[in-house]
Amino acid sequence: MKQFHVYQGTQIKDSNTSSKMMYHLVLSLLPIILFAWYQRGIVPYMEERTDIIGLFYPLLFLLLPSLITYLMEVLFHIHHPHPFKDAFFNYGFVIGLFLGLILPFQTPVVILIIASLFSSLIGKLIFGGFGCNIFNPALIGYLFVLMSYGAVMSVDVVSSATPLTNFKNLGGIGNYHNLVEPYGNLWNFFFGTIPGTLGETSGLLCILAYFYLCIKKVIKWKIPLIYVGTVFGMTFLIGGYQNLDIWFPIFQVLSGGLLFGAVFMATDPVTSPTTPIGQILYALFLGILTVFFRFGTSYPEGVMFSILIMNLFVFILDQVGSKSRFNFTHAIIPFFLAWTLILGLGVYFGLNVGKEKTDSNFHIISKEKNQNEFSYIVEQKGYAGNIKARIVIQNYSVSSFEVLEQNESYYKRVEKADYIEKLLENQKHLEQVDTISGATKTSTALKNMLIHTLEDYEKEVHS
Amino acid sequence: MKAGLKLFNNKKLTKNKEIISYKKPKYVYIPLVNQNDTNITPLVKKGDFVKVGSIVGKRKGNLRIPIHSSVSGKVIDFVEKPYLNGQMVKCIQIENDFEETKEKREVKKLHQYTKEEFVHQLKSCGVIGMGGNGFPTYVKYDQDIPLHTLIVNATECEPYITADYVLMMNHIEEILDTMDAIMEINHLDEVILAIKKSNQKLWKMIHNYIGTYLKIKVVFVSDKYGIGWERALVQEAKHVTYDKYPLEKGIVVNNVSTIYAIYQALKYGNALTERIVTFTGEMLKEPQNVVVKVGTPVSEVIESIGGYKRNNDIRFVAGGPMMGHTLPNDELVVSPNLNCVLVLKDWKKVEERPCIRCGKCVSVCPAKLCPVLIKDYQKNKRRLGELKPEKCVECGLCDYICPAGIPLREIIHSVKEGLK
Repeated sequence: MKQFHVYQGTQIKDSNTSSKMMYHLVLSLLPIILFAWYQRGIVPYMEERTDIIGLFYPLLFLLLPSLITYLMEVLFHIHHPHPFKDAFFNYGFVIGLFLGLILPFQTPVVILIIASLFSSLIGKLIFGGFGCNIFNPALIGYLFVLMSYGAVMSVDVVSSATPLTNFKNLGGIGNYHNLVEPYGNLWNFFFGTIPGTLGETSGLLCILAYFYLCIKKVIKWKIPLIYVGTVFGMTFLIGGYQNLDIWFPIFQVLSGGLLFGAVFMATDPVTSPTTPIGQILYALFLGILTVFFRFGTSYPEGVMFSILIMNLFVFILDQVGSKSRFNFTHAIIPFFLAWTLILGLGVYFGLNVGKEKTDSNFHIISKEKNQNEFSYIVEQKGYAGNIKARIVIQNYSVSSFEVLEQNESYYKRVEKADYIEKLLENQKHLEQVDTISGATKTSTALKNMLIHTLEDYEKEVHS
Repeated sequence: MKAGLKLFNNKKLTKNKEIISYKKPKYVYIPLVNQNDTNITPLVKKGDFVKVGSIVGKRKGNLRIPIHSSVSGKVIDFVEKPYLNGQMVKCIQIENDFEETKEKREVKKLHQYTKEEFVHQLKSCGVIGMGGNGFPTYVKYDQDIPLHTLIVNATECEPYITADYVLMMNHIEEILDTMDAIMEINHLDEVILAIKKSNQKLWKMIHNYIGTYLKIKVVFVSDKYGIGWERALVQEAKHVTYDKYPLEKGIVVNNVSTIYAIYQALKYGNALTERIVTFTGEMLKEPQNVVVKVGTPVSEVIESIGGYKRNNDIRFVAGGPMMGHTLPNDELVVSPNLNCVLVLKDWKKVEERPCIRCGKCVSVCPAKLCPVLIKDYQKNKRRLGELKPEKCVECGLCDYICPAGIPLREIIHSVKEGLK
């Protein structure tokens, strides 16, 4: 009698395996890595702005955390032997890679190492290793860096203020002139020649990676599409209330880590819902939270936080998702909530954001014209009462900026930082001048004072 | 259909070949089983003489159905043989006298049966669903609910299998005639022949005959695997959903092979003792569609068509690659619901990896289940109540698609059994 092997399950198999999916994922990251290297390593080297270490630093910046998370995985499995451990090691590598791509490039090496350890240990291994983690491990490392070393990270980097930091510092909604123009035009946002972390700058490469991963059936395609769509829709609404054109939602979509986060971080299979309805709700709420963080808090970037928060709800979303497959009524309330929030927050931010900054806080007390010299006395609301100043403009250039009256509590800090000097030096791109930490309101007020006066001056000259 | 998946179907191995027959086995082993139910009373004893079509056993319970001998000859023993699901079942061993003496049954012209006679004829000829399940067919027509539609399932969505296809290519006239007769006998309003969109060759052939049958409608359904499932088919062809059985809405669904068995029963009074089985797979020298008698040992048929390419390194599958079961040997005997014997190259089964929660199993499931969650909550009775694993039809799509190689079909099957 012939003897054959007996197998469970189907006798033909889809050719897509976990390892292949991981391979495609890394492959789709490759152009992004190479572009980052080109931008941050090769170009500075060619222009002789950096040395040979600087040339390879971007690659080291990605490789170091990858190696650390990989080693952590290996160490963990010495103590927890598991039949599939080889597979786990590769998954460990990817965590570090993502971490390197989402952390600010100026992160010191020590912090990078600590963040990698934190990602691997707290983000994943403490939950019991692969498949058991609730939160995206790379984002846990990111959160840790932000919470513990936020101050170190934002040390004066005037030249590389990201579009979103700039947007936040404006304190209001801004306009094309001060949001997009400092970086050229929107094409630069699309191609990625703007400041940002290694992974997030190029919208084009993220979109290409999205299509590649969809064709190869690696990621949950609904999540990035609906997530970005929601942010676009809500910012379109907000922009509409503020009389801003279509460029504003495009600016919001292309700025910061939205595209990268949507394509790579929000679709992390372990920490996102498995059911289609769950995925749709997950993506809608991600969009809502991101818009909330960007417009409703003082924190410039909302993507990574939104994903971490929504990771918590995956369990519930899957419960809703699985029930609503048989009976859609289970999903009505969450969908209703999502639509209400999208419209409600859209309208609320549309009506309210930017009001604070508008002219009600700024007054021109007097202006004198003397040949081509304009002398302004202006008043702007600061941290404690109004700040009064005299500003003299000559031939489109501010020749003097003198504070006449102020009651600011932390004014000394402003003086110590030579903030006014700095403003005068950078008067052509004031948007990029960072505020003084510890005297944010005061410094913002001073900056805005100058911006508004210059706006008024331009109007005068043109008319 | 939203769910389901297009599969590489590999039907070309047998699709364009002539049907051959293998009708002279020395012994047949009539399996005493229907729909996985082995609670069947044998009605013969050792030494009895039986004819082709003699009743040798009867299923007990609500779904009574006789089981017939497929040869004439002497009952010599009762032996255990593997059934297509891998279980050992009791079989009646009959020695063939090659006389083909037939048990006579009264017959009429196709269209002249009354409904009662029709149901009686199906029952006494033992016509059962030949698509794989083996549900007694007469039960579907013997209902108080007024029937209005017959859907003939000719989708044959399992890869490799072409038994229904070649049957239609050769016997379309008989099939259409029978469909017409069933419609008249049961006073149906509509008869639908459901074939796959991509099956243009079949459509061209049917097109030549369909003109005569004004009330028969051909419906093209999507090419995905999973469409052959009754619920999906009724949904796509009729846009009707139902709770448990399509009968609730007055719809009968029959496989096209079953229709041919009905034809044989009505026209000649032949019991269901033969069928076309697709013998295919890359490890067979000559893949073929073969007409075989119920109870024929499969190994004999394989030998008669040229045998295996190699004797080891083989995976032996009873049924199609998706829903079939691998068997440890080729002792299998033909049962009326065996549509395919697939001989594939042995493989190194994809190593089982941890679930990465990609959600693919959820997106392909035609029964709208969440296999990954059922796997997670295997032990949680309350949550299982919401996840409804009992709705699983074991189509194998989740198993097929899983990139981690997790045996989801088996897991859900055991969860289902555990709930019973």
